Amino acid sequence: MSPSRTLRSLVATLAGLSLLTACGGARAGTADGVSAEPARGGTLNLSMSLDPLCLDPHAISSDVEQIFGHILTDNLVYLDDKGDPSPWLATSWEISPDAKTYTFHLREGVTFSDGAVFDAQAVVTNFEHMLDPATRSPLAGPYIAPYEDSKIIDDYTLEVHLSRPYVPFLTVLAQGWLGMESPKAIKESTPAQLCEHPVGSGPFVLTGYTKNQSVTFARRADYNWPPDLYKRGGPAYLDGIKVDWVGQDAVRFNSLVSGQYQATGYLPAQNAQAVKSNPALEYHNNNRIGWPFTLDFNVSRAPFDDIDVRRAFAASVNVPAIIQTIGFGQRQPATGFLDRVTQYYDPNVKFPGYDPAKANQLLDQAGWTGRDADGYRTKDGKVLEAQSPVTQTATVSPVYNLIQAQAKAVGFKVNVNLLPLTQVTTLRYAGDYDLLSGVWHTNTPDVLYIKYATESIPNDKRLGQNLSHLSDQQIDTWLEQARQTTDAAKLRDLYGKVQQRLVDLVPGVPIYDNSVLWATSRKLQGVITDTSHATPVFTYAWLTK
Amino acid sequence: MTALGTTGTRLAVRPTAVAIAKRIGVRLIAGVGVLWGAATLSFIALHVTAGDAALSTVAGQGANPTKEVLDQVRRDLGLDQPLYHQYLDYLGRLLHGDLGRSYQQRISVSQAIGEQLGQTVQLAVAAAVVAVLLAIAAAVLTARRRPWRSIASGVELTLSATPTFVIGIVLLIVFSFTLKVLPVSGNDGPRALILPTLTLALPIGAVLAQVLRSELEEVLEQPFILTARTRGMRDTVVRVRHALRHALVQIVTMSGFVVGGLLGGAVITETLFVRQGVGQLMLSAVTTKDIPMVLGLVVFAAFVYVLVNLLVDIAYTLIDPRLVTR
Repeated sequence: MSPSRTLRSLVATLAGLSLLTACGGARAGTADGVSAEPARGGTLNLSMSLDPLCLDPHAISSDVEQIFGHILTDNLVYLDDKGDPSPWLATSWEISPDAKTYTFHLREGVTFSDGAVFDAQAVVTNFEHMLDPATRSPLAGPYIAPYEDSKIIDDYTLEVHLSRPYVPFLTVLAQGWLGMESPKAIKESTPAQLCEHPVGSGPFVLTGYTKNQSVTFARRADYNWPPDLYKRGGPAYLDGIKVDWVGQDAVRFNSLVSGQYQATGYLPAQNAQAVKSNPALEYHNNNRIGWPFTLDFNVSRAPFDDIDVRRAFAASVNVPAIIQTIGFGQRQPATGFLDRVTQYYDPNVKFPGYDPAKANQLLDQAGWTGRDADGYRTKDGKVLEAQSPVTQTATVSPVYNLIQAQAKAVGFKVNVNLLPLTQVTTLRYAGDYDLLSGVWHTNTPDVLYIKYATESIPNDKRLGQNLSHLSDQQIDTWLEQARQTTDAAKLRDLYGKVQQRLVDLVPGVPIYDNSVLWATSRKLQGVITDTSHATPVFTYAWLTK
Repeated sequence: MTALGTTGTRLAVRPTAVAIAKRIGVRLIAGVGVLWGAATLSFIALHVTAGDAALSTVAGQGANPTKEVLDQVRRDLGLDQPLYHQYLDYLGRLLHGDLGRSYQQRISVSQAIGEQLGQTVQLAVAAAVVAVLLAIAAAVLTARRRPWRSIASGVELTLSATPTFVIGIVLLIVFSFTLKVLPVSGNDGPRALILPTLTLALPIGAVLAQVLRSELEEVLEQPFILTARTRGMRDTVVRVRHALRHALVQIVTMSGFVVGGLLGGAVITETLFVRQGVGQLMLSAVTTKDIPMVLGLVVFAAFVYVLVNLLVDIAYTLIDPRLVTR
């Protein structure tokens, strides 16, 4: 176990540095960097794609919360431009040498919109709410799973005890899903009521919610506790925000162009070019922290238990061709198993590229030398094939058919099975598949623990996101060590080694870096890009007259 | 089908109140049977198909819940109980008019349906009115008038054979994307209602027009029409005042078909035009295996169907008393 040291001074230094630099994590939304004098008033009309049907940030996993979280709630910390936690509702903190005890010093004078006071007890109530099974938390609770209990030192000092070392605890506290809610509302509401009407301390207050239709927020007049990195203070400039759920991509795009909305939360990739060339609109394509869009191999069963078969399959996938087709030129190819904007991403680790000759050679070597009538490879009378369950929607991504065709070129049969969402979810946790695709967005390199630690393999006792079922002792050790230190050099070394080891073990094929696309009208100024989610923050946005 | 005009000369048999009540009673019992059957068949279908509803509720894409949360959800939803227990439980609650709580929305199914019903009713009523008016116009204007009859009939056959979503997409391409005269989607205002209404109304109106025209043509052959004409009535007046009145009885007969078409078509139309409503609710409930919501919507749709057929039946007894005594 490596010794950890007090972070307090480091945090203070970092925060100071970020204030000095021009773009310390927060930046103005104008493309040319010219920002006019903010105008107060007006309502922002924002379109979003899908209603999560519950607005309690702790109770949902919807990406809506990446945006709503910073409208309605505040977090204990905010990430700086390096990806390290910086002060917000917690002004400073210390970590014990065993990385199991975290002492938070809290900001005074913060209140929730229902009048409840933000203090140490409020934070405890929030942690307990996230972890209470009745909340059914799919994300916030699991992110703080090692939480054991807390000791209230005084009203504004809290000592949190974890059951095991987990330094990324601090980082995940910056995510939208982990925003602080009013302890009064938590105590007085049932989980279902809280879904309908969550109460936060954020710059806006929820004033109306019609499911599948709209959500309205109004400015909170006495708000004055944004993160230092926003470099502004006081209440929001906008009077309010009206959000409409507009499910269809084409409609969301057209209504943005027509001026019905001044911003859309998630822009369809196929419309990116049109938005870019529209002088009235501003286009945002921000890379996000986490695990790229990847095709997982299930390494726990044939045929992908054989590393040569995995290498061969990876070499058969023409990633640039796929990205060209599905990304409309908006996505960057992934280089490994971490998105390139993730802290401690190692640019020297390179996943080998498309090489059909090598794929054929590896498969020959692995003994798949026979051929059936359709040209697929066989060995001992068995066809070389993989099951790929895919969720059936109105618009299934062409990625699966592309991969199927490319694999066929080297004699590999991929069965794309279109199934209802519920069935794919069930197969996913049962481990009954050979290929599965997905992304995992979070705000820390600890995403590698979520995706590749032996502890994260789903089984009868637990759920988990290690869907390749990769179990490697070295990776486990390095990932555990990384959870015990705040030493940047050590972390860089540990995460670098994990990234290289993953490329060597080929638990999947990384395809493209995850990015979030959104668009705003040029009439909307001062939008801040969130450092955890790369999504828009409207606290100090304003509408030009 | 015979129009009333041909049989009006027969001696009418006046039904007793008892006979009417008996008839309605039998229909009511049958209606309850239909509701029970719909609920039971959907219950079986939902539980037989693969997929864990508890996982679907809490562990979808992007979620990473703990086992404790999953177990809690399974208990909350009663999914840890044996299937017969869940079934009896469901029937018991249904008897008290309780449709249960939605897994996804965490509110009662009745409330969820109630919130969305208004939008669907608006669309369905608008579509029904447009369908009937179009059918009447097409039938009255083209019955026994060549070549218009053949042209209209051809258009109607094409429309009734075209899937709803194709009609919707064609309308969108013409009026929203190309001419840009109507909004693509949404629930705001009457303008946003035009394209969805037409999408839903056209195939239904086409079938109604076919039926109505053949009925109208049959009536126009009748002696009383000839009598009217010999009195010097103009053709249009004969068609509207005499023939149409008789032919319209067909619309009542077809109302079961119309309601079915509206309910089924609403799912597709609301999805295509991203409209709020019961159809959208149904689609999302099915994909996420929200069992109480799907069951609630099926029972609700069956109830509407039973109710409409009951009303049609009562209307018939009043229009044609022979039905009771026969």
